[in-house]
Amino acid sequence: MSMIVAENIVKRFGNLEVLSGISMTVEKGEVIAIIGPSGSGKSTFLRCLNHLEIIDSGSITIEGRTMVQSDRDGGARYVPDSQIKAICKKIGMVFQNFNLFPHKTALENIIEAPIIVNKMKKQDAIKIAESLLEKVGLSDKKDNYPSQLSGGQKQRVAIARALAMAPDIMLFDEPTSALDPELTGEVLKVIKDLAEEDMTMVIVTHEMGFAKEVADRVIFMDGGRIIEEGSPDEIFVKPKQERTRAFLDKVLS
Amino acid sequence: MANYISFTFSMESFFKLLGSMFQGLGTTLSIFFVTAILSLPLGLLLALARISKFKALSIFVGVYIWVLRGTPLLLQLFFVFYGLPYIPYVGVTLDRMTAAYISFVLNYAAYFAEIFRAGIQSIDKGQYEASKALGLTYWQTMRRIILPQTIRRVLPPVSNEIITLVKDTALVYSIGVSELLKVARNAVYRDAVTYPFAIAAVFYLVMTYVLTKLFNWLEKRYSVYE
Repeated sequence: MSMIVAENIVKRFGNLEVLSGISMTVEKGEVIAIIGPSGSGKSTFLRCLNHLEIIDSGSITIEGRTMVQSDRDGGARYVPDSQIKAICKKIGMVFQNFNLFPHKTALENIIEAPIIVNKMKKQDAIKIAESLLEKVGLSDKKDNYPSQLSGGQKQRVAIARALAMAPDIMLFDEPTSALDPELTGEVLKVIKDLAEEDMTMVIVTHEMGFAKEVADRVIFMDGGRIIEEGSPDEIFVKPKQERTRAFLDKVLS
Repeated sequence: MANYISFTFSMESFFKLLGSMFQGLGTTLSIFFVTAILSLPLGLLLALARISKFKALSIFVGVYIWVLRGTPLLLQLFFVFYGLPYIPYVGVTLDRMTAAYISFVLNYAAYFAEIFRAGIQSIDKGQYEASKALGLTYWQTMRRIILPQTIRRVLPPVSNEIITLVKDTALVYSIGVSELLKVARNAVYRDAVTYPFAIAAVFYLVMTYVLTKLFNWLEKRYSVYE
Protein backbone atom coordinates (compact mmCIF):
# COMPACT_ATOMS: atom_id res chain seq x y z
CA MET A 1 0.00 0.00 0.00
CA SER A 2 1.31 3.41 -0.94
CA MET A 3 1.75 5.93 1.85
CA ILE A 4 0.60 8.87 -0.25
CA VAL A 5 -1.33 8.85 -3.49
CA ALA A 6 -2.12 12.29 -4.84
CA GLU A 7 -3.83 12.55 -8.20
CA ASN A 8 -4.45 15.56 -10.39
CA ILE A 9 -4.35 18.10 -7.59
CA VAL A 10 -5.65 21.47 -8.72
CA LYS A 11 -5.50 24.41 -6.35
CA ARG A 12 -6.48 28.00 -7.03
CA PHE A 13 -6.04 31.15 -4.98
CA GLY A 14 -8.80 33.29 -6.43
CA ASN A 15 -8.19 33.36 -10.16
CA LEU A 16 -4.61 32.20 -9.85
CA GLU A 17 -4.10 28.50 -10.43
CA VAL A 18 -1.12 27.53 -8.28
CA LEU A 19 -1.33 23.78 -8.80
CA SER A 20 -2.35 22.54 -12.24
CA GLY A 21 -2.80 18.82 -11.90
CA ILE A 22 -0.09 17.42 -9.64
CA SER A 23 0.14 13.66 -9.20
CA MET A 24 2.56 11.90 -6.90
CA THR A 25 2.82 8.52 -5.23
CA VAL A 26 5.05 7.90 -2.23
CA GLU A 27 5.88 4.40 -1.03
CA LYS A 28 6.73 3.37 2.52
CA GLY A 29 10.20 4.48 3.56
CA GLU A 30 10.69 6.65 0.50
CA VAL A 31 12.28 10.07 0.78
CA ILE A 32 11.02 12.54 -1.81
CA ALA A 33 12.65 15.90 -2.37
CA ILE A 34 10.62 18.54 -4.15
CA ILE A 35 12.69 21.29 -5.73
CA GLY A 36 11.81 24.22 -7.95
CA PRO A 37 11.82 28.00 -8.13
CA SER A 38 9.90 30.20 -5.68
CA GLY A 39 6.21 30.34 -6.51
CA SER A 40 6.28 27.01 -8.30
CA GLY A 41 3.65 25.64 -5.89
CA LYS A 42 5.83 23.15 -4.03
CA SER A 43 4.96 24.38 -0.54
CA THR A 44 1.29 24.70 -1.45
CA PHE A 45 1.28 21.11 -2.70
CA LEU A 46 2.88 19.91 0.53
CA ARG A 47 0.30 21.82 2.57
CA CYS A 48 -2.54 20.20 0.61
CA LEU A 49 -1.34 16.78 1.75
CA ASN A 50 -2.17 17.45 5.41
CA HIS A 51 -5.22 19.61 4.85
CA LEU A 52 -3.62 22.98 5.59
CA GLU A 53 -4.85 23.95 2.13
CA ILE A 54 -8.14 22.87 0.57
CA ILE A 55 -7.79 21.58 -2.97
CA ASP A 56 -10.19 22.51 -5.76
CA SER A 57 -10.07 19.18 -7.52
CA GLY A 58 -8.19 15.91 -7.48
CA SER A 59 -7.81 13.18 -4.89
CA ILE A 60 -5.53 12.44 -1.95
CA THR A 61 -5.25 9.05 -0.29
CA ILE A 62 -3.05 8.54 2.76
CA GLU A 63 -2.16 4.96 3.73
CA GLY A 64 -5.13 3.63 1.79
CA ARG A 65 -7.60 6.06 3.36
CA THR A 66 -9.09 8.59 1.00
CA MET A 67 -9.21 12.12 2.36
CA VAL A 68 -10.56 13.84 -0.72
CA GLN A 69 -11.64 12.82 -4.19
CA SER A 70 -13.12 14.47 -7.24
CA ASP A 71 -16.85 14.27 -7.59
CA ARG A 72 -18.70 14.04 -10.91
CA ASP A 73 -18.51 17.72 -11.77
CA GLY A 74 -14.80 17.81 -11.08
CA GLY A 75 -14.92 19.50 -7.67
CA ALA A 76 -13.11 18.11 -4.67
CA ARG A 77 -15.19 16.27 -2.11
CA TYR A 78 -13.63 15.83 1.31
CA VAL A 79 -14.60 13.11 3.78
CA PRO A 80 -16.08 14.38 7.09
CA ASP A 81 -13.80 16.41 9.37
CA SER A 82 -13.44 13.68 11.97
CA GLN A 83 -12.04 11.32 9.33
CA ILE A 84 -9.72 13.99 7.93
CA LYS A 85 -8.41 14.49 11.44
CA ALA A 86 -7.78 10.78 11.90
CA ILE A 87 -6.00 10.56 8.53
CA CYS A 88 -3.84 13.63 9.14
CA LYS A 89 -2.84 12.39 12.58
CA LYS A 90 -0.46 10.06 10.78
CA ILE A 91 1.28 13.01 9.12
CA GLY A 92 3.82 15.17 10.90
CA MET A 93 4.82 18.54 9.56
CA VAL A 94 7.84 20.79 9.99
CA PHE A 95 7.57 24.42 8.90
CA GLN A 96 10.00 26.90 7.47
CA ASN A 97 9.43 29.28 10.40
CA PHE A 98 9.39 26.49 13.03
CA ASN A 99 6.07 27.69 14.50
CA LEU A 100 7.07 26.56 17.96
CA PHE A 101 4.74 27.67 20.74
CA PRO A 102 6.66 30.61 22.24
CA HIS A 103 4.97 30.41 25.64
CA LYS A 104 6.02 26.82 26.15
CA THR A 105 9.46 25.36 26.84
CA ALA A 106 11.07 22.92 24.41
CA LEU A 107 9.76 20.01 26.47
CA GLU A 108 6.28 21.52 26.81
CA ASN A 109 6.14 22.07 23.06
CA ILE A 110 6.76 18.38 22.52
CA ILE A 111 4.39 16.94 25.15
CA GLU A 112 1.47 19.24 24.26
CA ALA A 113 -0.09 17.23 21.43
CA PRO A 114 0.51 13.75 22.91
CA ILE A 115 -1.25 14.85 26.11
CA ILE A 116 -4.03 16.96 24.61
CA VAL A 117 -4.73 15.04 21.40
CA ASN A 118 -3.72 11.48 22.30
CA LYS A 119 -4.71 11.76 25.99
CA MET A 120 -1.34 10.34 26.96
CA LYS A 121 -0.32 10.44 30.62
CA LYS A 122 1.97 13.35 31.32
CA GLN A 123 4.87 11.27 32.66
CA ASP A 124 4.72 8.98 29.61
CA ALA A 125 4.71 11.99 27.28
CA ILE A 126 7.69 13.46 29.13
CA LYS A 127 9.61 10.19 28.74
CA ILE A 128 8.99 10.19 25.00
CA ALA A 129 9.83 13.89 24.73
CA GLU A 130 13.10 13.43 26.59
CA SER A 131 14.19 10.59 24.34
CA LEU A 132 13.26 12.65 21.26
CA LEU A 133 15.23 15.63 22.57
CA GLU A 134 18.18 13.32 23.04
CA LYS A 135 17.74 12.07 19.51
CA VAL A 136 17.90 15.62 18.11
CA GLY A 137 20.77 16.47 20.46
CA LEU A 138 18.98 18.95 22.70
CA SER A 139 18.59 17.20 26.04
CA ASP A 140 20.20 20.15 27.79
CA LYS A 141 17.68 22.60 26.29
CA LYS A 142 14.46 20.98 27.44
CA ASP A 143 13.54 23.77 29.85
CA ASN A 144 14.46 26.60 27.48
CA TYR A 145 11.84 28.71 25.79
CA PRO A 146 12.04 29.00 21.98
CA SER A 147 13.27 32.59 22.33
CA GLN A 148 16.35 31.22 24.07
CA LEU A 149 17.20 28.82 21.23
CA SER A 150 19.04 29.34 17.95
CA GLY A 151 17.21 28.77 14.68
CA GLY A 152 18.75 25.36 14.22
CA GLN A 153 17.82 24.35 17.75
CA LYS A 154 14.27 25.60 17.26
CA GLN A 155 13.88 23.55 14.11
CA ARG A 156 15.21 20.45 15.83
CA VAL A 157 12.67 20.94 18.65
CA ALA A 158 9.99 21.35 15.97
CA ILE A 159 11.04 18.05 14.41
CA ALA A 160 10.94 16.35 17.83
CA ARG A 161 7.51 17.87 18.41
CA ALA A 162 6.19 16.38 15.16
CA LEU A 163 7.79 13.00 15.89
CA ALA A 164 6.15 12.86 19.33
CA MET A 165 2.86 12.08 17.60
CA ALA A 166 4.48 8.99 16.09
CA PRO A 167 3.68 9.91 12.50
CA ASP A 168 4.05 7.49 9.59
CA ILE A 169 4.83 10.33 7.21
CA MET A 170 6.84 13.50 7.76
CA LEU A 171 6.42 16.61 5.62
CA PHE A 172 9.16 19.23 5.63
CA ASP A 173 8.39 22.64 4.22
CA GLU A 174 11.74 24.28 3.48
CA PRO A 175 13.09 23.27 6.90
CA THR A 176 16.38 25.15 6.55
CA SER A 177 15.33 28.22 4.54
CA ALA A 178 15.02 30.46 7.60
CA LEU A 179 18.36 29.38 9.06
CA ASP A 180 21.79 30.91 8.97
CA PRO A 181 23.96 28.83 6.63
CA GLU A 182 26.13 27.53 9.45
CA LEU A 183 23.04 26.16 11.24
CA THR A 184 21.53 24.16 8.37
CA GLY A 185 23.86 21.22 8.88
CA GLU A 186 22.53 20.27 12.32
CA VAL A 187 18.94 20.21 11.02
CA LEU A 188 19.83 18.30 7.86
CA LYS A 189 21.65 15.71 9.95
CA VAL A 190 18.51 15.04 11.99
CA ILE A 191 16.51 14.60 8.78
CA LYS A 192 19.18 12.30 7.41
CA ASP A 193 18.98 10.18 10.57
CA LEU A 194 15.24 9.89 10.02
CA ALA A 195 15.83 8.76 6.45
CA GLU A 196 18.10 6.03 7.74
CA GLU A 197 15.30 4.86 10.02
CA ASP A 198 13.11 4.50 6.91
CA MET A 199 10.74 7.32 7.81
CA THR A 200 8.57 8.21 4.82
CA MET A 201 9.32 11.83 4.05
CA VAL A 202 8.43 14.55 1.57
CA ILE A 203 10.85 17.45 1.75
CA VAL A 204 10.47 20.75 -0.03
CA THR A 205 13.95 22.18 -0.12
CA HIS A 206 16.38 24.58 -1.70
CA GLU A 207 19.34 22.54 -0.47
CA MET A 208 20.33 20.77 -3.68
CA GLY A 209 23.30 18.97 -2.14
CA PHE A 210 21.06 17.62 0.59
CA ALA A 211 18.34 16.58 -1.86
CA LYS A 212 20.92 14.72 -3.90
CA GLU A 213 22.31 12.94 -0.90
CA VAL A 214 19.19 11.98 1.02
CA ALA A 215 16.36 11.66 -1.52
CA ASP A 216 15.31 8.46 -3.21
CA ARG A 217 13.42 10.48 -5.75
CA VAL A 218 13.54 14.12 -6.75
CA ILE A 219 10.58 16.04 -8.14
CA PHE A 220 11.14 19.27 -10.02
CA MET A 221 8.16 21.61 -10.06
CA ASP A 222 7.62 24.82 -11.96
CA GLY A 223 4.48 26.88 -12.64
CA GLY A 224 2.24 24.55 -10.64
CA ARG A 225 3.24 21.43 -12.58
CA ILE A 226 5.68 18.59 -12.14
CA ILE A 227 8.19 19.12 -14.92
CA GLU A 228 10.37 16.15 -14.26
CA GLU A 229 10.95 13.49 -11.65
CA GLY A 230 13.47 10.76 -11.15
CA SER A 231 16.40 9.56 -9.09
CA PRO A 232 18.79 12.26 -7.83
CA ASP A 233 21.17 11.17 -10.57
CA GLU A 234 18.57 11.54 -13.29
CA ILE A 235 17.59 15.01 -12.13
CA PHE A 236 20.89 16.49 -11.08
CA VAL A 237 23.30 14.81 -13.49
CA LYS A 238 21.32 14.25 -16.65
CA PRO A 239 18.07 16.20 -16.56
CA LYS A 240 15.91 15.67 -19.64
CA GLN A 241 13.90 18.89 -19.53
CA GLU A 242 15.28 22.24 -20.55
CA ARG A 243 13.52 23.97 -17.66
CA THR A 244 15.08 21.63 -15.12
CA ARG A 245 18.50 22.27 -16.60
CA ALA A 246 17.97 26.03 -16.57
CA PHE A 247 16.86 25.96 -12.93
CA LEU A 248 19.76 23.78 -11.82
CA ASP A 249 22.23 25.94 -13.71
CA LYS A 250 20.95 28.93 -11.80
CA VAL A 251 20.97 27.41 -8.32
CA LEU A 252 24.11 25.32 -8.61
CA SER A 253 26.31 27.94 -10.19
CA MET B 1 -18.76 84.83 64.74
CA ALA B 2 -20.80 82.12 63.03
CA ASN B 3 -18.75 82.62 59.92
CA TYR B 4 -15.58 82.15 61.84
CA ILE B 5 -16.75 78.89 63.38
CA SER B 6 -17.67 77.39 60.03
CA PHE B 7 -14.11 77.84 58.90
CA THR B 8 -12.50 76.14 61.84
CA PHE B 9 -11.23 72.68 61.40
CA SER B 10 -12.81 70.16 63.67
CA MET B 11 -11.09 66.83 64.11
CA GLU B 12 -14.42 65.26 64.92
CA SER B 13 -16.13 66.32 61.72
CA PHE B 14 -13.03 65.37 59.76
CA PHE B 15 -13.19 61.78 60.98
CA LYS B 16 -16.91 61.71 60.37
CA LEU B 17 -16.28 62.84 56.82
CA LEU B 18 -13.51 60.29 56.38
CA GLY B 19 -15.89 57.58 57.57
CA SER B 20 -18.53 58.49 55.02
CA MET B 21 -15.88 58.76 52.32
CA PHE B 22 -14.76 55.23 53.08
CA GLN B 23 -18.38 54.20 52.68
CA GLY B 24 -18.43 55.92 49.31
CA LEU B 25 -15.18 54.20 48.47
CA GLY B 26 -16.84 50.87 49.23
CA THR B 27 -19.55 51.62 46.68
CA THR B 28 -16.95 52.75 44.14
CA LEU B 29 -14.96 49.56 44.69
CA SER B 30 -17.98 47.32 44.35
CA ILE B 31 -18.82 48.89 40.99
CA PHE B 32 -15.21 48.55 39.98
CA PHE B 33 -14.84 44.90 40.97
CA VAL B 34 -18.20 43.74 39.65
CA THR B 35 -17.48 45.45 36.32
CA ALA B 36 -13.92 44.16 36.03
CA ILE B 37 -14.77 40.60 37.05
CA LEU B 38 -17.80 40.26 34.78
CA SER B 39 -16.82 42.36 31.76
CA LEU B 40 -13.44 40.68 31.14
CA PRO B 41 -14.84 37.18 30.52
CA LEU B 42 -17.87 38.63 28.74
CA GLY B 43 -15.51 40.64 26.53
CA LEU B 44 -13.58 37.48 25.70
CA LEU B 45 -16.77 35.68 24.70
CA LEU B 46 -17.79 38.65 22.54
CA ALA B 47 -14.35 38.67 20.89
CA LEU B 48 -14.63 34.98 20.05
CA ALA B 49 -18.13 35.58 18.67
CA ARG B 50 -16.86 38.55 16.67
CA ILE B 51 -14.21 36.43 14.91
CA SER B 52 -16.45 33.37 14.55
CA LYS B 53 -17.33 31.99 11.15
CA PHE B 54 -21.04 32.36 11.88
CA LYS B 55 -21.63 35.59 10.00
CA ALA B 56 -24.90 36.45 11.75
CA LEU B 57 -23.30 36.16 15.18
CA SER B 58 -20.26 38.14 14.12
CA ILE B 59 -22.35 40.94 12.64
CA PHE B 60 -24.64 41.04 15.69
CA VAL B 61 -21.67 41.41 18.01
CA GLY B 62 -20.15 43.99 15.66
CA VAL B 63 -23.29 46.12 15.95
CA TYR B 64 -23.35 45.62 19.73
CA ILE B 65 -19.76 46.85 20.02
CA TRP B 66 -20.45 49.77 17.71
CA VAL B 67 -23.46 50.93 19.76
CA LEU B 68 -21.84 50.45 23.16
CA ARG B 69 -18.59 52.14 22.19
CA GLY B 70 -20.32 54.71 20.04
CA THR B 71 -22.58 56.26 22.66
CA PRO B 72 -21.67 57.90 25.96
CA LEU B 73 -21.51 55.62 28.98
CA LEU B 74 -23.50 58.32 30.75
CA LEU B 75 -26.28 57.95 28.19
CA GLN B 76 -26.26 54.18 28.67
CA LEU B 77 -26.45 54.65 32.41
CA PHE B 78 -29.41 57.03 32.05
CA PHE B 79 -31.06 54.69 29.56
CA VAL B 80 -30.88 51.69 31.88
CA PHE B 81 -31.91 53.54 35.02
CA TYR B 82 -34.31 56.25 33.82
CA GLY B 83 -35.27 54.97 30.38
CA LEU B 84 -36.01 51.27 30.80
CA PRO B 85 -39.10 51.72 33.03
CA TYR B 86 -40.93 53.54 30.23
CA ILE B 87 -40.54 50.85 27.61
CA PRO B 88 -44.04 49.46 27.02
CA TYR B 89 -44.74 45.91 28.27
CA VAL B 90 -41.12 44.93 28.95
CA GLY B 91 -40.08 47.98 30.93
CA VAL B 92 -38.39 47.23 34.22
CA THR B 93 -37.43 49.45 37.08
CA LEU B 94 -34.02 48.64 38.44
CA ASP B 95 -32.50 49.82 41.65
CA ARG B 96 -29.60 52.23 41.24
CA MET B 97 -26.78 49.79 41.88
CA THR B 98 -28.18 47.12 39.56
CA ALA B 99 -28.58 49.72 36.83
CA ALA B 100 -24.98 50.80 37.38
CA TYR B 101 -23.64 47.24 37.29
CA ILE B 102 -25.54 46.40 34.10
CA SER B 103 -24.52 49.52 32.19
CA PHE B 104 -20.89 49.27 33.23
CA VAL B 105 -20.50 45.57 32.51
CA LEU B 106 -22.15 45.83 29.08
CA ASN B 107 -20.13 48.92 28.16
CA TYR B 108 -16.75 47.66 29.33
CA ALA B 109 -17.30 44.24 27.77
CA ALA B 110 -17.56 46.00 24.39
CA TYR B 111 -14.17 47.67 24.87
CA PHE B 112 -12.55 44.49 26.14
CA ALA B 113 -14.03 42.57 23.19
CA GLU B 114 -12.19 44.80 20.75
CA ILE B 115 -8.95 44.54 22.71
CA PHE B 116 -9.19 40.74 22.83
CA ARG B 117 -10.17 40.49 19.16
CA ALA B 118 -7.15 42.53 18.11
CA GLY B 119 -4.94 40.50 20.44
CA ILE B 120 -6.16 37.16 19.12
CA GLN B 121 -5.79 38.28 15.53
CA SER B 122 -2.24 39.51 16.16
CA ILE B 123 -1.06 35.95 16.83
CA ASP B 124 0.87 34.52 13.88
CA LYS B 125 -1.19 32.17 11.74
CA GLY B 126 1.68 29.70 11.86
CA GLN B 127 0.56 28.97 15.43
CA TYR B 128 -2.82 27.76 14.14
CA GLU B 129 -1.15 25.73 11.40
CA ALA B 130 1.28 24.05 13.77
CA SER B 131 -1.60 23.27 16.14
CA LYS B 132 -3.70 21.85 13.33
CA ALA B 133 -0.81 19.79 11.99
CA LEU B 134 -0.43 18.31 15.49
CA GLY B 135 -4.12 17.40 15.60
CA LEU B 136 -5.41 20.00 18.06
CA THR B 137 -9.02 21.08 17.57
CA TYR B 138 -9.97 24.74 17.15
CA TRP B 139 -10.97 25.08 20.82
CA GLN B 140 -7.89 23.26 22.07
CA THR B 141 -5.80 25.59 19.93
CA MET B 142 -7.59 28.63 21.32
CA ARG B 143 -7.38 27.56 24.93
CA ARG B 144 -3.88 26.11 25.00
CA ILE B 145 -1.99 28.03 22.31
CA ILE B 146 -3.63 31.26 21.18
CA LEU B 147 -5.24 32.74 24.31
CA PRO B 148 -2.22 32.29 26.61
CA GLN B 149 -0.16 34.27 24.11
CA THR B 150 -2.97 36.79 23.68
CA ILE B 151 -3.07 37.56 27.41
CA ARG B 152 0.50 38.81 27.32
CA ARG B 153 -0.22 41.08 24.37
CA VAL B 154 -3.45 42.57 25.68
CA LEU B 155 -2.20 43.33 29.19
CA PRO B 156 -1.13 46.93 28.38
CA PRO B 157 -4.43 47.97 26.74
CA VAL B 158 -6.46 46.08 29.36
CA SER B 159 -4.53 47.89 32.06
CA ASN B 160 -5.44 51.18 30.39
CA GLU B 161 -9.13 50.31 30.39
CA ILE B 162 -9.06 49.12 33.98
CA ILE B 163 -7.54 52.41 35.11
CA THR B 164 -10.15 54.32 33.12
CA LEU B 165 -12.78 52.19 34.84
CA VAL B 166 -11.62 53.34 38.26
CA LYS B 167 -12.38 56.91 37.27
CA ASP B 168 -15.52 56.12 35.26
CA THR B 169 -17.15 54.75 38.42
CA ALA B 170 -17.69 58.41 39.35
CA LEU B 171 -20.33 58.55 36.60
CA VAL B 172 -22.82 56.61 38.72
CA TYR B 173 -23.06 59.77 40.80
CA SER B 174 -25.41 60.94 38.04
CA ILE B 175 -28.06 58.35 38.91
CA GLY B 176 -27.83 59.18 42.58
CA VAL B 177 -25.50 56.49 43.84
CA SER B 178 -23.47 57.64 46.84
CA GLU B 179 -20.04 56.73 45.60
CA LEU B 180 -16.79 58.43 46.49
CA LEU B 181 -17.17 61.59 44.42
CA LYS B 182 -20.77 62.22 45.50
CA VAL B 183 -19.84 61.92 49.17
CA ALA B 184 -16.97 64.35 48.62
CA ARG B 185 -19.13 66.86 46.78
CA ASN B 186 -21.85 66.73 49.42
CA ALA B 187 -19.25 67.45 52.07
CA VAL B 188 -17.86 70.35 50.09
CA TYR B 189 -21.35 71.87 49.74
CA ARG B 190 -22.33 71.23 53.33
CA ASP B 191 -19.16 72.43 55.03
CA ALA B 192 -17.98 74.98 52.44
CA VAL B 193 -14.51 73.48 52.35
CA THR B 194 -12.33 72.17 49.54
CA TYR B 195 -10.35 69.36 51.07
CA PRO B 196 -12.95 66.55 50.56
CA PHE B 197 -12.13 66.78 46.86
CA ALA B 198 -8.45 66.40 47.68
CA ILE B 199 -9.19 63.35 49.80
CA ALA B 200 -11.24 61.85 46.97
CA ALA B 201 -8.38 62.51 44.57
CA VAL B 202 -5.97 60.73 46.91
CA PHE B 203 -8.32 57.73 47.07
CA TYR B 204 -8.47 57.52 43.25
CA LEU B 205 -4.70 57.91 42.99
CA VAL B 206 -4.09 55.11 45.49
CA MET B 207 -6.44 52.81 43.55
CA THR B 208 -4.80 53.53 40.22
CA TYR B 209 -1.35 53.20 41.76
CA VAL B 210 -2.12 49.74 43.12
CA LEU B 211 -3.56 48.70 39.75
CA THR B 212 -0.56 50.06 37.83
CA LYS B 213 1.75 48.02 40.06
CA LEU B 214 -0.44 44.95 39.67
CA PHE B 215 -0.37 45.17 35.88
CA ASN B 216 3.38 45.79 35.79
CA TRP B 217 3.80 42.64 37.83
CA LEU B 218 1.48 40.68 35.54
CA GLU B 219 3.34 41.89 32.46
CA LYS B 220 6.61 40.74 33.94
CA ARG B 221 5.15 37.40 34.89
CA TYR B 222 3.81 36.79 31.40
CA SER B 223 7.01 37.94 29.73
CA VAL B 224 9.19 35.11 30.98
CA TYR B 225 9.18 33.46 27.57
CA GLU B 226 10.07 36.53 25.56
